[in-house]
Amino acid sequence: MTAAAEFVEVSQKFGDFTAVDAIDLSIPQGKLTTLLGPSGCGKTTSLRMLAGYSAPTAGRILIDGVDSTKLPPEKRGLGMVFQSYALFPHMTVADNVGYGLKLRGITGPARRARITESLEMVGLAHLAASRPRKLSGGQQQRVALARAIAIRPKLLLLDEPLSNLDARLRVQMRSEIRRIQSETGLTVVLVTHDQDEALEMSDEMVLMRAGKIMQQGAPSNVFGSPTNRFVAEFLGYENFITMTDGSLHTVRPEHLEVAPAGRPVIDGGLSLPGTVTDVAYRGVDVLVTVQSTDPSGLNVTLVSDLRADTAPPVTVGDRVTVSAHQTRLVPIAA
Amino acid sequence: MKTSRPVAGTLAVAGYIIMIVPILFVVATAFSAGSTLKFPPDGLSLRWFGEALSYDPFLESLVTSLQLAVASTAIALLLGVPATIAIHRGRLPGKNIVESLFLSPLIVPELVVGLALFQQLVITYNLENASVLLIGHTALLLPYAVRVTGASLANADPSLEEAARGLGASPLRTFVTVTLPILRPGLFSAALLGFVTSFNNVPLSLLLQSRDARTLPVTMLDYVQQSYDPMVAATSTLILGATVVIAIIAERTLGFAKIFGGINR
Amino acid sequence: MRSRTTSLLVLPGLALLVLGFLIPSLAMLFSPPGTETGEIFVRLGEMITDPYELRIIGRTVAIGLVVVVVSITLGFPIAYLLARSQSRWAGVLLALAIFPLLLSNVVRTFGWLVILGSNGVIGQLLTGLGVLEEAPQLLYTELAIVLGLTQLFLPLAIISCYSAVSQVDAGLDDAARGLGASRTRTFWDVVVPLSLPGLVVAATLVFAGSVTAYTTPYLLGGSSQRMLSTQLFSYSSVTIDWAGASATAMIMTFLVFLVSGLSSLAARRGATS
Repeated sequence: MTAAAEFVEVSQKFGDFTAVDAIDLSIPQGKLTTLLGPSGCGKTTSLRMLAGYSAPTAGRILIDGVDSTKLPPEKRGLGMVFQSYALFPHMTVADNVGYGLKLRGITGPARRARITESLEMVGLAHLAASRPRKLSGGQQQRVALARAIAIRPKLLLLDEPLSNLDARLRVQMRSEIRRIQSETGLTVVLVTHDQDEALEMSDEMVLMRAGKIMQQGAPSNVFGSPTNRFVAEFLGYENFITMTDGSLHTVRPEHLEVAPAGRPVIDGGLSLPGTVTDVAYRGVDVLVTVQSTDPSGLNVTLVSDLRADTAPPVTVGDRVTVSAHQTRLVPIAA
Repeated sequence: MKTSRPVAGTLAVAGYIIMIVPILFVVATAFSAGSTLKFPPDGLSLRWFGEALSYDPFLESLVTSLQLAVASTAIALLLGVPATIAIHRGRLPGKNIVESLFLSPLIVPELVVGLALFQQLVITYNLENASVLLIGHTALLLPYAVRVTGASLANADPSLEEAARGLGASPLRTFVTVTLPILRPGLFSAALLGFVTSFNNVPLSLLLQSRDARTLPVTMLDYVQQSYDPMVAATSTLILGATVVIAIIAERTLGFAKIFGGINR
Repeated sequence: MRSRTTSLLVLPGLALLVLGFLIPSLAMLFSPPGTETGEIFVRLGEMITDPYELRIIGRTVAIGLVVVVVSITLGFPIAYLLARSQSRWAGVLLALAIFPLLLSNVVRTFGWLVILGSNGVIGQLLTGLGVLEEAPQLLYTELAIVLGLTQLFLPLAIISCYSAVSQVDAGLDDAARGLGASRTRTFWDVVVPLSLPGLVVAATLVFAGSVTAYTTPYLLGGSSQRMLSTQLFSYSSVTIDWAGASATAMIMTFLVFLVSGLSSLAARRGATS
């Protein structure tokens, strides 16, 4: 299967600062790919280069197999949804959605039909005559989405599309965007700093840090087997243990058991003695922090996330044993 | 600018040429050695600077201009700042009307104001030209004083002053220790704009001039009409130099954009 | 501070405004010295039917409109490029555009004498290259006045347009480009319509300035290209015709008020639509 878009050793420098550092990236056709990472990791810069708003200082960008590195944004035929939505305040909702069609010479009934179709897809056909500033944040977001899909773009690019919405709406929009993606079969690239959003929405997930790609793959693969410490930490692995042979392993807090001293709960796995330094009750679960020494002799702070109703009654200062199944130990690069 | 916008770029260059190039020619001709205003000049010299600096009408009118600018700016601030405080902090009936009254000299053409003061105060009431000139310039600067200091005051939280009173400060002490520091950037902008506006003014100064109340710009205009030599170019170059100094001070202390934010709204 | 006594602080300034500006202005418009009641209106009636005076009024309005068009045509692109530029030179160029506002009009206008005068740069260039036998008459023409006034008011146009363009989210430019609009198309479809309020302010300021300016028409138009301002000065200081001067002042004030009124009307309609 061909890639919808491809980055070949693409770099972006702003003065001395390297925002994107020689990345190679392939965006699969008809899938939803997320670029995930903390702020300043180069994800938005990459998206803007793909859209044509900023020219790479080195490397090539291919769209549908064609070198588009030097192409201005208006010649790329991509649909972009901006973080601020960027709706034209002097046009009605319908005119916003129809603007790209007008530029493509689609007018009259054909344009009206396409506007209605796009607005129906986001459930806002009844607001066609409104001005954008009369709309709620969620509605503006949908209009921006409708405007981008109306032009039947080669790719749909979403820059932190949900970050300005309240929590409830954000979760609702995730499935909405997924639905639109599967109905239209569009290739979607979504930039986000929210790992839950990326895990829930992506077919393919690209984790970035300091201008480099740290790991790429299906969400379950990346989540289940992080390959390096950054990815592990970003996805919520909190325990890092160095073995006697010097290899580094990581364990999720919810896979770490805590039991009073001398009674390992898990056989044939990791088992470390330690002292409880903090117990934080959180309703459903309880976080137990243990000061311990790993097999290589390093002092480590371990965090265990236990179900509150089955957790052993431990308090600060208790001597405990921390243990995990061998299968829960994920080997990672240092 | 960027080649990707050829039309906008060309128009922008044309705009800068019209704004700046005439000023450059003034400077170039000021260094002429010849005695007519032409370009390229007949040789280079500092001769006309010497002539300008020893030409009594220019020197006398320069003193008049400076005195007038300083006095009118000072009076405009002395009257305008209390008025601003009254408008923004007092319980003034018809506040908006009073404020627009203070801004009204900006709307009426200066030449019309000059004519009015000349006809009514000089001719009808026989007041001295010099005092009417001062009244006129002060009225002209009041809008700047009220608007620019008003902008600083409007941005400041009145509860700062209430807090000072609550802590036991008298109204006067509150004014000196809280209100005045808030107003300082506005006062500085207003003073600078006021001085420059008064110094450069032509319409009022022209209509209200008399033998002992003639400002430098008016004297220069008269001189251009009579003789066609580079002395006005030399004088203009000196004024340009002084203006550049003022502009640099303004930019360093407040930033240009802030000062001019007040002019234009 | 919120007391009645604070309100009294307005009185000294108000006194100066009323006695030193308001009353004289009204008195001048309606009863100039040595004239009978109503004489000024008779004079006004004569003026707007007299071909010579009408030509002066017409020239003033026409020059004002041309200067508005030229100032916006040159000033808006400058404002647009500066507002959208990320170059560090943009700040310097903006300061360079604002600086002339601090400089004396006499100094600024004087430069045109050197350029347009009979021994001026353009004349010398054309005769020197053999294009023309004799230096063309450039000074004391309407063209000279337009050039001089454009130089004078371009900075005002730039500031108004700059603040308007800066308020248009650059993200909207990006959005239009992404939907397929070229730079030029984006400029006309997005930047210009959203900067319209600033353009109206710029046009008003430039027009009001142009129809009331004195130095420029005096130096560059002379007595052959009279405008309302030079005519007003001539009535008040050469022929000492108070009714004529007041009537001219009335026409000038009317023009300025008319344009300001129209522009605030336009602003209000723009705000409600």
